Amino acid sequence: MATSDAYMRTPTQQAWRRFKRSSSGKAGLLIVGFFILLAMLAPLLMPYDATKDRHLRLRLKPPSIEHLMGTDELGRDIFRRVVHGSRISLRVGVFAVGIALVLGTVLGLLAGFYGGKTDMFISWLIDIMLSFPSILLAIAIVAVIGPGISNAMIAVGIVQIPVYARLTRSMVISIKEQDYVSAAMGLGAGHARVIFKHILPNGLSPLIVQGTLSIATAILDAAGLGFLGLGAQPPQPEWGLMISKGFLYFTRAPWISLFPGVAIMIAVLGFNLLGDGMRDALDPRTVR
Amino acid sequence: MTAYAIRRTLSLIPVLFGVSLLVFTFIHLIPGDPAVVMLGQRATPEAITKLRKQLNLDKPLFFNLKAATEKKNPAAIFDSQYFSFANRILHGDLGESIFTKVDIATELRARFPATFELSLAAMLVAVLLAIPAGIMAAVKKNSWLDLSVMTAALIGISMPIFWLGLLLIYLFAVNLHWLPPSGRLDVAFHIKPITGMYVLDGILRGNFALVGNALKHLILPALALGSIPMAVIARMMRGAMLEVLNQDYVRTARSKGLSERLVIWKHALRNAMLPVITVIGLMFGTLLTGAILTETIFNWPGIGKWLYDGIGSRDYPIVQGGTLFIATVYVIINALVDLSYGFFDPRIQYH
Amino acid sequence: MKKLIIGLLALSLAFGVASAQTLVYGQSKLPVTLDSSDAQDGNSLRVSYQITESLVAFKPGTVDPKPGLAVSWKASDSAKVWTFKLRQGVKFHDGTPFNAAAVKFNIDRWNDKSNKYRGNKQFVPFTWVFGGFKGEGSIIDHVEVVDDYTVKFYLTDSVGFFPNMLGASYFGIDSPKAVMANPDKYGTPEVGSVGTGPFVFSKWIIGDKVILKRNDNYWGPKAKVDTLVFRGIPEPASRLAELKAGAIDIANNLSPEDKVTIDSDPNLEAVVQKGLNIGYLAFHQKNKPLDDIRVRKAIAAAVDWDAIVDAFYAGLGERATEFVPPAMWGRDGHVPAYTYNPELAKKLLAEAGYPNGFKTEIWYMPVSRPYFPAPQPIAETIATYLADVGIKATLKTEDWGTYLSDYDQGKFPMYMLGWSPDYPDPDNYLYTFFGPTPIKTNLGCESEACQQIGQLLVDARTAPDMATRKELYAKVQRKVHELTLSIPVAHNNPLHAIRKGVKGWIPSPLGSSENLNLVTK
Repeated sequence: MATSDAYMRTPTQQAWRRFKRSSSGKAGLLIVGFFILLAMLAPLLMPYDATKDRHLRLRLKPPSIEHLMGTDELGRDIFRRVVHGSRISLRVGVFAVGIALVLGTVLGLLAGFYGGKTDMFISWLIDIMLSFPSILLAIAIVAVIGPGISNAMIAVGIVQIPVYARLTRSMVISIKEQDYVSAAMGLGAGHARVIFKHILPNGLSPLIVQGTLSIATAILDAAGLGFLGLGAQPPQPEWGLMISKGFLYFTRAPWISLFPGVAIMIAVLGFNLLGDGMRDALDPRTVR
Repeated sequence: MTAYAIRRTLSLIPVLFGVSLLVFTFIHLIPGDPAVVMLGQRATPEAITKLRKQLNLDKPLFFNLKAATEKKNPAAIFDSQYFSFANRILHGDLGESIFTKVDIATELRARFPATFELSLAAMLVAVLLAIPAGIMAAVKKNSWLDLSVMTAALIGISMPIFWLGLLLIYLFAVNLHWLPPSGRLDVAFHIKPITGMYVLDGILRGNFALVGNALKHLILPALALGSIPMAVIARMMRGAMLEVLNQDYVRTARSKGLSERLVIWKHALRNAMLPVITVIGLMFGTLLTGAILTETIFNWPGIGKWLYDGIGSRDYPIVQGGTLFIATVYVIINALVDLSYGFFDPRIQYH
Repeated sequence: MKKLIIGLLALSLAFGVASAQTLVYGQSKLPVTLDSSDAQDGNSLRVSYQITESLVAFKPGTVDPKPGLAVSWKASDSAKVWTFKLRQGVKFHDGTPFNAAAVKFNIDRWNDKSNKYRGNKQFVPFTWVFGGFKGEGSIIDHVEVVDDYTVKFYLTDSVGFFPNMLGASYFGIDSPKAVMANPDKYGTPEVGSVGTGPFVFSKWIIGDKVILKRNDNYWGPKAKVDTLVFRGIPEPASRLAELKAGAIDIANNLSPEDKVTIDSDPNLEAVVQKGLNIGYLAFHQKNKPLDDIRVRKAIAAAVDWDAIVDAFYAGLGERATEFVPPAMWGRDGHVPAYTYNPELAKKLLAEAGYPNGFKTEIWYMPVSRPYFPAPQPIAETIATYLADVGIKATLKTEDWGTYLSDYDQGKFPMYMLGWSPDYPDPDNYLYTFFGPTPIKTNLGCESEACQQIGQLLVDARTAPDMATRKELYAKVQRKVHELTLSIPVAHNNPLHAIRKGVKGWIPSPLGSSENLNLVTK
């Protein structure tokens, strides 16, 4: 673990130094930063109300100076919609992973810390979840709770729970056996104290790395649900939904589907790069 | 090893039991009612009630307490939807679709080979491109080759499959007319299925024109579906290879003056393959079961699209039977992957 | 080029392809069943129409009845007893003879719920057309075999257009022997169906295609191709792509806006069909405040319907004012169109007590239909217009089958839907939309005015002469407009396309009754 290094700098400083040396990390930070900035500034720079946007005379226009990415079937400026789509996709990615991270970590902690029947039951649940293909599970969840962007977010989050549960569980088991933790337990420290004081902080780095990478997956999955009509609903400018609507026009106006896809790709690429960089920084043992 | 295999197999039973419970619960939680859908427009409440009874949808989901107390027969408690479903499954009867009246088993026989063939093709494309690329990238670490392979791989895992699929169709089918936009086979070709996988069947029957046509239909969907495994495997291969190349015995081999090629192919590759093979196995399971989007775009008559439609139309038997089948295949593949550790790496001991 | 063609020819001969004529039809889905009387969707019926035939047929491309398996028919004075003379010497594909007993077998199977050859089928369309099963509202009381080639239908009430009803594509006559052999699985991919039609069921490859072969013993004009293949290709854009690639010969129901693409391709030919459909936006008045006529009128005035028709029908469709298309009788002819007037809309909303609008839902169909070729963008556009006057309409959709069973349950406050007729009579439109249907929701309107409309439609159904019926239907159209029960949006002339060289294909205004035996390639 990074904390056991006896260097002059704090672990955080070391990690930051390593991160700065990772070119993928820097590129990722740049892209992700760009999208975050875009999402924050979009309402100020180009205000947009999807519920009123309609220019029937400007339908299906190819990319031009006025409309950098062309217009769609309602004559809406695709560039504007793609920019505003970043707000939806980032939110979905972060919240979905938040759900998975919290619930998964709790389950993993319980399983790893208490072992025995608790562990068996939780592992059984996780095994069941893992025997479904994730997209099918997400579809089933949305079918139950109804389509929509928030529900898609929940579904994508639930689907990712097993990843964190397993990660945390194995982490807890390995840390629990280390001397200082057994010592703390021997001294009569409460369970909560041991978990929050000793176990979680020491296992945080793999969780952070995994978290960054799963934001990428979550954005892709949510777009997939949007494409199937189960995620964001029209007229929201969600990227996956925009691609699917372009399907009807794709022989005539391929730009409707093209640009939202490029946006997804770049955003996801950003989080993947950032995740790689984080791994370089926080988990220096892996060979890069 | 054998003991472990048996234990691993037995461990599937509780998981599959859980899967059956979950699938069953899920489908009944989905709002909507197949009886209503089946009767379509202008259905009267009386007709709906009658049909629900006919379809056994009026019984309790899990435990029939009412029947048990009324009939004073404790066994009647199992006169419920779940237990009759489980009972049929255990007798090998997956039921029939509510709407098309086709046996689920018949549908699976027709559709699973299509999905299997597509997944196999996707995996083949992925492996054939990714493994050499990953090795080269590792051997020439930090070269332009490494950089481009890794960039391509990153882009590969960052693209939405459905979007890539659309682009491929637009480019190669609609504009260039090189490859067909959808389907498995041109109408002019007929084959009596043996395995249901057209390429294989064509070879078995010696009909090579058909094999060619089937391959043409496979290329685009396989590329789309294979893009993610391709990227993952390339990254994995490179990482594993680098790790092995840094290890003592490889260094020793090198210092003994063995040729670089021998070192890489004989010593390093063998050991680097293990984690990669694991990933290939696990990803194959995912492909088999998760090709819904690809199948939708390419109109591929596989399991994914069928299940998706089944959920939409509340066709309970399709969703129950189909998902259970898919989950079974998936956990079996995972178990096989586990077991293959021992095969590829005899050092691993099972406890 | 010539060399290439000869080379290709040699190649295709060498592999034994293209020696037999195969016509490939691309539609949006494969059939659900080939048991036509249990099929609720046009894709099933189009295929089964090639295999099984009804007693009454329609002249290709029209809605004019002509002899089918019956050569003539006659009503009693009260129009309560109908006598049908059957075609002689016709055989089912399995060799059994077509006769009066076969007709009675089929009708009894559909009409009588205790019939043991129903299998596990519901025969829902039968209830749509005839009002229910025997004893539950069916207008068919019983069928009598007079002799081998004469049947008599005894009705519970007088119905002047009874033959048209029998001509609906649901009522193809199946071989009794084939049905009896396996009532449950009749019509499935494994069993198929057996009729008297120009094509014989050959094979159904699940999820992929249905293959039919020419019936060499057909009583009428024998099919011009040896093999007819149906493929299901859900997306209109994909159907067009397949057509361009030459993998299919006919692609139906394309996006009107692809007309340009088709016209610019030298290998393709656009086919614009005279449509008899109607696409509309309905209100379900169980949902407040849509029960307020001012609110409904406000909505009608808030939307620029002309602009919508201009944008999404690419000049192929026309703005609708009544619920029966102009090519059909039973119209008033002078019902005015709702005009775009947002100011009026705001005023009406304020009067109704919603000066700042309200929240509601618009449901749109998840699939393209002939009357709404692009449902989602149209719904989005309507919602933007409503947003302009303050009404916040959420857009919603669900699986098509579920949608069709949910709309009349009052679950959708506003919904888009439409109609292509089952049989050519205004009754089939108006009774469907506004008639006193078994569930009596009548768009959720229980007011006396709505009940009056229902009564007018019942009267029109059984009125003895055309003039009376005509006047009754015109009255209904006016009342529906006054009450703004629903908003008629468009009549579309659907766009289809064929490969150059395909000849003789005439799409049917009834949706699925196409005579593909007349098509050459």
